[in-house]
Amino acid sequence: MSVAPLRTVDTQIVPDAGAGTESGTAGTAISVDGVRKIYDTGRERTEAVSGVSFDVKRGEFVAILGPSGCGKSTLLMMCGGLESITSGRIDIEGVAMTQPRPSIGVMFQDASLLPWKTVLENILFPIKILKRPMAEYTERARSLIDMVGLHGFEDKKPHQLSGGMRQRVAICRALVYDPDILLMDEPFSALDAITRDEMGEALLDIWEQYTKTALFVTHSIREAVLLADRVLVMTRRPATIVEDIRIPFGRPRPRDVSGSPEFNEICVYLRSLIESGHGAAQGRRSGDGPVLQPGRRGA
Amino acid sequence: MSITANSSGAAILDIAAPSRVRRLIRANMAVILPVATALSVLIVWQIVTVAFQIPRVILPAPSEIGAHFLTNLPALLNHARHTGLEALGAFVLATAAGATLAGLMAAFPLAREILQPNLVAFQLIPKIALAPMFIIWLGIDTPSRLAFAVFMSFFPVVISTTVGLSNTDPVSLRLCRSLAASGVQTFFQVRVPFALPYLFNGMRIASTMAIIGVVVAEFISSRAGLGFYILYSSSRMETVGIFSALLMLCIVGLVLFGAVVLAERIVRRTYLA
Ligand SMILES: Nc1ncnc2c1ncn2[C@@H]1O[C@H](COP(=O)(O)OP(=O)(O)OP(=O)(O)O)[C@@H](O)[C@H]1O
Ligand SMILES: [Mg+2]
Repeated sequence: MSVAPLRTVDTQIVPDAGAGTESGTAGTAISVDGVRKIYDTGRERTEAVSGVSFDVKRGEFVAILGPSGCGKSTLLMMCGGLESITSGRIDIEGVAMTQPRPSIGVMFQDASLLPWKTVLENILFPIKILKRPMAEYTERARSLIDMVGLHGFEDKKPHQLSGGMRQRVAICRALVYDPDILLMDEPFSALDAITRDEMGEALLDIWEQYTKTALFVTHSIREAVLLADRVLVMTRRPATIVEDIRIPFGRPRPRDVSGSPEFNEICVYLRSLIESGHGAAQGRRSGDGPVLQPGRRGA
Repeated sequence: MSITANSSGAAILDIAAPSRVRRLIRANMAVILPVATALSVLIVWQIVTVAFQIPRVILPAPSEIGAHFLTNLPALLNHARHTGLEALGAFVLATAAGATLAGLMAAFPLAREILQPNLVAFQLIPKIALAPMFIIWLGIDTPSRLAFAVFMSFFPVVISTTVGLSNTDPVSLRLCRSLAASGVQTFFQVRVPFALPYLFNGMRIASTMAIIGVVVAEFISSRAGLGFYILYSSSRMETVGIFSALLMLCIVGLVLFGAVVLAERIVRRTYLA
């Protein structure tokens, strides 16, 4: 299934998936340089992020893996201009990030739909705020609803949905207005394993149709390896990046890739990295071969 | 654990399945319970007044109150019109002023910092004690009663609405920020809808406060209205008249309260669509 194309096609939308041949996919989309974040509540200071640097190329899908409370959401919010940066700098599309821009779509960890709006109205909320033509985007919203398996729930209110369904609505809401860059904070965390895989595939479908730049926070190693071009592994708070591996599977990504031995190898490697804490396996890349016996536990 | 328990389990389910009458009763429990309670209080009241021959001046029987209420209905309705209209006017003014002030305080943080602590402190004053001042300031006619009732019912609206406007879901506000929504958009499309239940909660309290305000003001100065009727009946030791007026006041209160509930439904249907 595909997303209804928009008649007003943005110049940034490249219909060809991830090939990187178009000029639109070259260059750096997100540049994070020595970023630190200290929450100062007056009574205590919490260092959430400590000296993180990385670049995300245009059209690249980067997953951030890390233990709970390590500062992933904080980092993502700083990229979206929704949280102040204590020191360092973040440039998006070459412009310093000081305030939110509608070209950056944010999907929050907490779905938080507007309780008085129906599913369809919630999804179209960004369109209303951005004052875009409602009729055109309604069609697109409906096809997104179908893709995430919420057909028939268009006119339900959030309180009539399960937590996972609400999260799927939030996914549609972040995708409907076609932002160039997507920041997603554990979008699938409230879903069961099967729906999670389905949503991952739906995201891949949408992804490969309109290549965008994405920064994707997750707890699931499998999900990161399945979806991303690169995986950044973060340490416990204050967060730093201990590993930055390239996932060797191409695009469009074969849907059965998760069955391959190489897939499991990468998962096992990442797991060992996270379990052993930082520093243990520094410098290793995915191509270095098996770190533990592959095939033990997928995720 | 499943197979052996199966036969007896089915039997238990059969017995537990409610009959149609029981199901009907259970479905309407929310109505049946309070009505039954009120009816039994009235019956006990009736029995006690008759059995112990309680003097009418002290406590008239419900049947007497009902009879008095019906025979004096035209007069009572006329008084209710005075009280009701003034209470309605006060309620509308208080709601408009309270919601506007709450909106201003939400939109302008400086206004909020200046006003909110003062409003909370002012709220603590026993406002009924100030009723005579309104006679001194505004005379003995409608303006003073109206002003006093507004004064009584304004605070619940402004305080409740302010709480609502400042309790907007933080993630929804973040969503607005991420879309670079304007302040006006965020205010009317997210903050106000989130605050509406609080506004209507304040309005429900205000509707009763407005009636209390008018009746108290009528106690002090008036030639008509249910407060006047109560005072008049009391001066003639006509207790049954007091109770009739009370019954009429309850009806006026219910009408105003019902109007607020209805308004809330309509606003929810139209604004929140
Ligand atoms: N507004 C805040 N004020 C103070 N401290 C905060 C605030 N927000 C987050 N923190 C702290 O910063 C740290 C990182 O929080 P963050 O939400 O970024 O973690 P996370 O990696 O997203 O965790 P999770 O995977 O559980 O969502 C935590 O220790 C948290 O207590
Ligand atoms: Mg988080």
